[in-house]
Parts: sequence; structure tokens; C-alpha cells
Amino acid sequence: MTSAREALGPQDLSAPGCYVYGVVPWAEGLLPSDLTGLSGAPVRLVREGELAVVVSDLPLDQPPGRAPDVVAHHEVLDAIAGVTSVVPVQFGSLLASEEDVREDLLLARGDDFAALLEELAGRAQMNLRASYLDDVVLAEVVREDPDVAELRRRTRDVPEDQSYGDRVRLGELVARALDAKRGPDADALMTVVEPLVAAWSERTSGPGSGDTVLDVALLVDLDRLTEVEDTLEGLAEAVHERMRLQLVGPLAPYDFVGGAAWA
Amino acid sequence: MTAQMQQRRGGGYLERPAPSGLADVIEVILDKGLVIDAYVRVSLVGIELLTIDARIVIASVDTYLRFAEATNRLDLYEKGGKDLGELFGGMQEGGAAKKTSGAVKGVKKAITGGGDDDEQRSARKASPSRRRRSEDA
Repeated sequence: MTSAREALGPQDLSAPGCYVYGVVPWAEGLLPSDLTGLSGAPVRLVREGELAVVVSDLPLDQPPGRAPDVVAHHEVLDAIAGVTSVVPVQFGSLLASEEDVREDLLLARGDDFAALLEELAGRAQMNLRASYLDDVVLAEVVREDPDVAELRRRTRDVPEDQSYGDRVRLGELVARALDAKRGPDADALMTVVEPLVAAWSERTSGPGSGDTVLDVALLVDLDRLTEVEDTLEGLAEAVHERMRLQLVGPLAPYDFVGGAAWA
Repeated sequence: MTAQMQQRRGGGYLERPAPSGLADVIEVILDKGLVIDAYVRVSLVGIELLTIDARIVIASVDTYLRFAEATNRLDLYEKGGKDLGELFGGMQEGGAAKKTSGAVKGVKKAITGGGDDDEQRSARKASPSRRRRSEDA
């Protein structure tokens, strides 16, 4: 097996490397013919048996990382996800050569890719986010918590420098009250969402921030997509006085291909 | 109901934005996707280089002051026609289901009425944040 490092001498840096977007089940005429990727390079397939890797040339001395590169990566995967199942590869993955793509990805991990693609077949990712309508939910907090109401009354019309301590305390109480609301509200939303989806995964790793109630990636069977959209529309209407719901997708299943290193 | 909530699905409530700008796209792809081992790949530019990690809000004095400011900005009692009595229609009781009205109440009932008791809830996958909250409590 040729490793990237062995293949890559200092003299090779201007040679084209293989920028990797994702892995797909191979099929004739799969790619839109005019699909271009990073730096406008044509997107092509590197095939091995039943699998293919979606790549485009990218000089090894031009590591990806600029804003247009990020957008191009997403657009290519978006286009691919529209026509077939795809295992999206993390942004910025550049291999030294087509040979490396064939050997180190397809030959080395072909069975794993095939299994993953089978799981993802006919499915797409939808990102769902629910956010509180700040004013409404803050009003709830003021209403429900006498300490908050009192601190609010005391700090409202007082110059900031004369009420610093009270303001910090007020904000702390409000933040805690929002935290206390978030869990039950998120659970209530997921009670509706969970039966609709093949899998789901939380997108934010840290504490729920600010007005975010729920931020999840959903793996949706495409033949249930309309049902999912209709149900979420109903849910959005039901909670619209307190929250707004945003649904993004269908997307390539970025959140459902495992976080651990592969290949 | 604000204009921005009226999206392409015929004035529906569910917003359907398409990721367009850099921030949107980063939000979608973030550090997600299959990771190719460092031994194999030539380069992997961490997306963290492209964005400051704004997703983690640290509970800080600054955060608290922002909440305080937002709370103080609320137009609750002072101006006619906008007071809480009208906003919440005399719903005095605490608890999420009680603050909702009309259709919300129906759906809330429906979505929480299916035997979703506390035991089930705690057995469900808990986020780190929820665990943290329970430790704080």
C-alpha cells in the first residue's frame, strides 16, 4: 500500500492531488456532466467495482480552506445527494493521487462503505432546529419567577452602573429558567419527531445556547419526506406562539456516517 | 406572526431556509462527515480554522448581562394592548402545557399524552447539556 507520505516528495507538490467529496454506489452516467468542485475543477468518479469515490483534482500545494472551497464542497455533495446515496467525507480531505483513493479508500474499506451506503440508501438528512421566540419566552420567565420580576423591576429604569450586581443576578436567573424550559420542550418536540425518522442525532455538543431549544439531524426515508414535512408543519403551527422551527434539507447525511476515523 | 416566518410552503409555519452563505454552509457541514485517517490523506484543514467556535455559549457575566438586557427590554406591562394578560389570555397556571392555547394545547396534549412519563424521558438519550443541567440542580 502506498501511503500519501511515501508518494509525496517535495518535488511533487505542484502535482494534482485528489480532493475527496464522498463515496457512492457506482453507476453509469451518475454525475451531472458539468459538475465542478473546488477551484472550478471538473468532478469525476474513481471507480473500483461497485463503488466509486467522488473527486476532483486539486494541486497539493493549494490546501483547501478558503470560503469558496467550503461552499464548493457542500454544493458538490448537495448535487450528488440529489441523485444517489452518498457517504460524505469531511471537508478538506485531500489525497495524494487517484491510486491512493483506489487503494486506501476503496480497496481497504470497500466492505464498510458498501454496508454504510446500504444503510443510507433511500434516505437523506434533514436538520431541524427549534428556537424560542425570545420575547414570548422571556415574558413567561418574568411571569413565572417572582425573583426575576422583582429584579427586573429594580433594574429597569436604573442606570446600568448603579445596578450591575442586580443585572448579573437577573441574567443568571433568566438563563437558568431558560435551561429549565429547554429540556422538557425539546423532549416534547422529539416525541413527535422520533417516530418519523430512521435515526436522529443531536448537532450541538455544548449546552443549549441562548434561544435554541433543539438542534438535531434527522435521517429521513425519502418516501416519507412529505409525511415528515407535513407533520413538522403541523408541529410548527402548534408551537408557533413560543418557538420557530426551521427545517433544512434534504442534505447529504453528514451526521450519520460516524465520527471515528476511517480508512 | 412575522413576515420572515412565512416561507415557501404556502404561508406555513415551518421555515425552510436553504443554506446559502458561508455561515450557513459551515453550520451544515461543520466538522461532520466521514473522517479519512491522517495517515492516508495529505491534508485535512480543520473547519475550526474557518470559524470561531461560537456554538458553545459559556455561562458568563456577559451572557447574563445580555439576558438581563433582553428581559428589561420586554414590553410587558407598561404599554396598552401589549400586556401579559392579553398575550397569555388569563392562563395563570405554571407549566408548559398551561401557557399554551388553542391548537397548541391540543397538540401539546397529543404529543405528551402518549405514556411519555418521566421514567421514559430519563431513559431517553440525554444530551450532555441536559446532564449538566441535572447536575447543577
